Amino acid sequence: MDSTTAMYVAQTLNGLAYGMLLFLVASGLTLIFGMMGILNIAHASFFMLSAYFCHTFLSMTGNFWIALLLAPIIAAFFGVLCERFLLRKVHAYGHISELLITVGISLVILEAVKVFWGTEPLLVAVPETLNGFLWIVDLKYPMYRIFVIGLALLILIVMALMLYKTRLGMVVRAAVSDADMVNALGVNVPVVFMLVFGLGTWLAGIAGVVITPILTVFPGMADQIGMDAFVVVVTGGFGSLIGAFIVSLFLGELNSFGIQFIPKLAPVLMFTFMAIVLAFKPMGLFGERE
Amino acid sequence: MRDKIIKWILWMAFIAILVFIPQMFGILYTNVFVLFAIFSLYAVTVNLLLGFTGLLSFGHALFFGGGAYATALALTHIQGLPLLSAVLVGGLAALVLALITSPLLVRVSGTAFAMLTLAFGQLMYVICLKFREVTGGEDGVGGFPIPSLNIPGIVSIDMKNPLNFYYFAIAILVLSIWIIWFFTRTPVGSVMVSIRDNTDRVDYMGFKVPQTKAIIFLISGFFAGIAGAMYALLQDLVSTDGVLTIYYSFMPIMMAFIGGIGSFFGPIYGSAILTILDELVTAYTERVELITGTVFILVVMFAPAGFAGFLNFLKGKFLSRSSEKNEMERIS
Repeated sequence: MDSTTAMYVAQTLNGLAYGMLLFLVASGLTLIFGMMGILNIAHASFFMLSAYFCHTFLSMTGNFWIALLLAPIIAAFFGVLCERFLLRKVHAYGHISELLITVGISLVILEAVKVFWGTEPLLVAVPETLNGFLWIVDLKYPMYRIFVIGLALLILIVMALMLYKTRLGMVVRAAVSDADMVNALGVNVPVVFMLVFGLGTWLAGIAGVVITPILTVFPGMADQIGMDAFVVVVTGGFGSLIGAFIVSLFLGELNSFGIQFIPKLAPVLMFTFMAIVLAFKPMGLFGERE
Repeated sequence: MRDKIIKWILWMAFIAILVFIPQMFGILYTNVFVLFAIFSLYAVTVNLLLGFTGLLSFGHALFFGGGAYATALALTHIQGLPLLSAVLVGGLAALVLALITSPLLVRVSGTAFAMLTLAFGQLMYVICLKFREVTGGEDGVGGFPIPSLNIPGIVSIDMKNPLNFYYFAIAILVLSIWIIWFFTRTPVGSVMVSIRDNTDRVDYMGFKVPQTKAIIFLISGFFAGIAGAMYALLQDLVSTDGVLTIYYSFMPIMMAFIGGIGSFFGPIYGSAILTILDELVTAYTERVELITGTVFILVVMFAPAGFAGFLNFLKGKFLSRSSEKNEMERIS
C-alpha cells in the first residue's frame, strides 16, 4: 500500500469513527425531536456532562470500563430529571417555551461544569488494553479508534433490534410518528417520553465517555459535535433514524477529508451541505414532516 | 386631550432622566447604562421576530457580530471615516447578511427556522475564527480609532469622552427603537402580527407571507447590526468570543423572554433586569450565566408572560376593575 492509499484508508476510518460517535449523539436527538417536536439544545450538554463524570470516575477508580458503564447512566439520570421536572412542566406553553427551557438547561449545565471542574482541559488516557496499534496491511492504525467504531456499531445493532423487534420499540416508533394517537390507545405516553429522553441522553453520554481520550475534557468540547448533530437532524429529516445514520456517516467523512484537503474551509463545507439540502428539500433528506 | 398632555409630560420626564443619568450615577455606571441601551435595542430586534412574528432566531449574533465587525474593520482600514457612516456601515453589513440568508429562511418556520438561524450564526463564528488575516481570529480587531462627531463648520464632539459618547449612543439607540416601534404600528406591522397568529389565513387573504417575513427579517437584522456597531464603538474591541458566540444569540432571547415577549417594551425591561442582575452577581461569583440561566428557566416555567405580564397583572389588580375582568375573560 503506497502512502496515498494509506492516507485515504486512515482518513476514511477516522471519518467513520467520528460519524459513528456523531450518530450516537444524533440518534437520541432525532428520537426526542420525533416524540416531542422540539430540538433539545441541551442534548450536547449531557454529552459533555458525561465526559466530566468519566474523568471523575477515572480519577476515583482508575478503571475506564467502570467509567464507561456508570458515567452515561448518571448523565441519563440528570436528563430524565430535566425531562420530568422542567420540560414536562412547560409542555402546555408550546414549542417555543420548550425550546427555550432547553437553552436555559444547557447554559446552567455549562456554567455548573465550570464551577465544579474548572475551565482547564482535563486529560484522559487511553485504557491500557486498547493502547496499541493495529496493522491494516501495512498501515499502522490506533486500536482505540477501531474499538470506538466497534462499540458504536454494537450499540447501533442492539438499538435497531430493540426498536424494530420488540413491543416497546413498536410503541416508541408509534409515539414518534403520532404521540396523541398512541396516548388515546391507552399507552402511558409521558412515561415513554421519559424513557426515550433517558435513552437518548444515555447514548449521548456513551459518545461523551468514548471521545474523552481523543478530545480531552473541556467546557467547549460539545460545541462541534453538538452543532454537527443539529445539522444531522435537520438535514437527515426530523425524526428519521435512517436519515440520521446516513447523514452522520457522510458528515464524518466530509469532516475528515475536509480537514485533510482544505483545513480552513472544513467547517464551512458542512453548513454548505445543509444549505443545499434545505434549499431543495426543506424537510430534510428523509423527513416526512416539518 | 388630557391623555395627550400626560403623554407629553411623560416623554419630557423620560428625556430629562436620560439627560441627567450620568450626573446621577457617575461615569462608571454611564457605560453600564450604554451597555443596557445597546442590549435593549438588540433584544427589541430579536423580539420583533420572536414576539411579533413568532419566529425564534437562535443566530442573531450573526447580525450583531456582523455589524460590530463591519464597523471595526471599516474604522481600521478607512482613514477619516465619519462616525455616523461607521455606525451605518455596521447596519448595512448586517442588512446584507440578512439579505443573503433570507431566501433560505423565509420558507421555513418553527424549529427549522430556529435551527437554520443557529447554523448561520455558528457559520459566521467559524468563518471569523478561521480567516484570521482579516478578522484577527480569537484576538479580534481592536484599538481602532473612534472618530469625533463632526458637523462641518459648526462643531466637533470628541467621542472618547464617555459623557459625549453616552449622549450620542442614547440618541442613536432611542431613535432606532422608536423607528422599530413606529414600524410595528404600520400596516406591514399588522400583517406581521397576523403571520404569528395564523399564517395560513394571511396567505389565503392574499398577503405575501415570505416577502413580509423577509422585510421583517431585514429590519430586525439591520437594527441588530446598528446595536453591534455601537457595541464595537463602546468596547473599541471586537473578537469572536466577544460578539459572535452562541451566548450572544441566547442573551437577547433571554432578555426578551424575561421582560415579556408579548409587549414591545418587554425586552427593554428584560435588558434592565439582566444588566442589574449582572452588576449584583459579579460581586459574588465569576459565573454570572449560572444565575442568569436559572432565572431564565424559572421565568419560562412560572411566568411565561415575563415582567411585562407581571406589570399588566398589577395594573389589572390595582388600577381598574374592568381590565381585570377583561383579563379573566381572556384566560377563560
